[in-house]
Amino acid sequence: MKKFRGSVIALAASALVLSACSGGEPAPGGFPGVIVSDTHAYLASNFALYKVSLDNVTEVWRFGAGKNPAQPDVSFAGQPVRLGGAIVVGGGIGTSMIDNHVYGVSDETGLELWRFRGSAESREYVDGVSTDGKLIFAPNGDGNLYALDPSQLTSINEDGVERKTPRLAWTFAATNKLWSRPAVADGRLYQASMDHKLYALDAATGRLLWTFDKASAPIGVRPAIAGGMVYFGAFDNTFYALDAATGALKWRTVLDAWLWSDPIVDRGVVYSADVRGKVHALKADTGQALWWLETRNAVRAQPVISGDTLYVVSLDTLVYAIDLTNVRPAADGRIEYKDVTRKWKDEVNLGRRMTSTPVLSGPNLWVPLFDGDVKLQSLDLGNGARKLAFPIKK
Amino acid sequence: MGFDLFDFFINNPLTNALLLLYGLLGRNFVLAILVLTVIIKLITLPLTFRQQVSSMKMAAMQPKIKELQEKYKSEPQKLMEEQRKLGFSPLSGCLPLLIQFPVLIGLYNAITRSLAVTPMSLLDLGKHVYSFLPNISSLMPIDSKFLIWDLGQPDTAYLIPFLPIGIIPILVILTTYLSNRLMTPPSTDPQSAQMNQTMQWMMPIMFGMFMFTAPVGLGFYWLVSNLMGVGQYYLLKPRIDHAKRQYALPNAGGTAAVSNSVVKSKSAATPAPPAPLPKSKGRGAPSIELSKPKDKDKNKK
Repeated sequence: MKKFRGSVIALAASALVLSACSGGEPAPGGFPGVIVSDTHAYLASNFALYKVSLDNVTEVWRFGAGKNPAQPDVSFAGQPVRLGGAIVVGGGIGTSMIDNHVYGVSDETGLELWRFRGSAESREYVDGVSTDGKLIFAPNGDGNLYALDPSQLTSINEDGVERKTPRLAWTFAATNKLWSRPAVADGRLYQASMDHKLYALDAATGRLLWTFDKASAPIGVRPAIAGGMVYFGAFDNTFYALDAATGALKWRTVLDAWLWSDPIVDRGVVYSADVRGKVHALKADTGQALWWLETRNAVRAQPVISGDTLYVVSLDTLVYAIDLTNVRPAADGRIEYKDVTRKWKDEVNLGRRMTSTPVLSGPNLWVPLFDGDVKLQSLDLGNGARKLAFPIKK
Repeated sequence: MGFDLFDFFINNPLTNALLLLYGLLGRNFVLAILVLTVIIKLITLPLTFRQQVSSMKMAAMQPKIKELQEKYKSEPQKLMEEQRKLGFSPLSGCLPLLIQFPVLIGLYNAITRSLAVTPMSLLDLGKHVYSFLPNISSLMPIDSKFLIWDLGQPDTAYLIPFLPIGIIPILVILTTYLSNRLMTPPSTDPQSAQMNQTMQWMMPIMFGMFMFTAPVGLGFYWLVSNLMGVGQYYLLKPRIDHAKRQYALPNAGGTAAVSNSVVKSKSAATPAPPAPLPKSKGRGAPSIELSKPKDKDKNKK
């Protein structure tokens, strides 16, 4: 019996040690998002929205848990936007919690200006929000796209607390989750949905202009709009190009895996990436595959272009910089990273998974990291050298 | 992409099988879990049976093994030899379990992946669906609604209003207890018996605690799995009872039958020798020929 008691104590002690080892905050359920101004970065990551000085990566303020008891203890995800004096961010999905609010936070103070809650069934905001400069477009996991007008605030009582909420300009209901931000161009919104459809709406009224329903799987990206066309990939391994005015299918190209990376169009070429790690370059007018490059894990983040260089961040923890002026693919279209003329000597290993689109600011590439202590890392665009990391290690 | 053996051989086939069943069974995820669990339990039935019988055999040998350990305390080589002669193989009970374990982990992974509650888990799922099964992607996203539950969320269907204890975690606790009680081989060793008894209530509580925060879909899996385990027990009961008689083990399932007084009285006296073991078939441990009536006859003689 004594021996057995010893085993139980040892087991309990091991469990305690193991749980302590896992320390720190739990991994997020949603993808982080970042935007930058000339002087600051705004990062929605896990349990807080941070305003960070770009000069020295010091935290200017933090909205969320741990800073102020009056602030919400929730998870944040997706890309925030700046509108007027507010930073607007969506509540995200954590490992065991979902927040169903959109928050307007004062750019100056980091305090809550307003909050919005949709239907009783409203859920998470996975990819953040978009804006046309007047309205905020907030796609929710409940299938509703909420258009908010933060210029008109009214008072509400939520959980016994008096708060401000923006006017709901209109609501559009899809038939399944909305897990991507809409693209906004020329007074129109292009909203992809997990119900396998892409919707074009009038941005001012929410009126449905057309629906594309030829995809056979969910669409989880923010489409790229260029030259009167709408470009997007879907989970049916297919990349689509539609006429932006009518929604008519112009071309489609079948690729190898789910496409969950926002596409980007540059000088007649569409770049996208799939969940098996391939980066694809297609001709924007015909869909002809030009080349593809294989990373070692899923690419969910949108590739970004600066000058002649394409930057790709992957779940494999590496950042790739490809010189687009000198790409010579093999007969099957494949290019090996070791063979391309690289902007940098090698891929840069940040040691953490990356799922979210990096942003360019001056000579730097700011990369949000999915998990780990470092949430935001800047790299030198010229040589890939690591520069600043947020938060600063004490 | 990096190559992961466990993904390739276990996780991916099970994930895709689960999704395939989901599609075939009218997009009912609970039904898909049920059917896949039944299929896996049926496939692993012979292994389960072997493991049960082997555990009982090892339990029956314990007094004799202790005797040998005492006798050959200073001669480990000789001890091993004697144990081998007796057919004692501590791993023989674990081996079938070890083979089943990856499958159970794979099934667990398949369910959590397929439910894809978070964006990260959906991304993970996307990497592992077979592209040669194009219809699989069209099943996305999985309909996580089942009766009053959202399979991707913790159970909020509380038994008592305002008391946050869901129905499914409670059922998981009860069925885990029942399944453990039936499936735990009885033990003649007091320490093992005590440990088994503790595990019988500790395990259900641990699983139950986990289920309070885990997605309900997993709860359904544990529920189905436990009920299948109980069903399996009754299916194998005639053979197991036969084995118990053969190895002179307490008759009731689990260790509950091994009352402390029995254990004490047994341990105080010289342990009774186990019933004659089946004859060895060749070099290895004695084979178990439970289905053959002649063994029974031999014991009677």
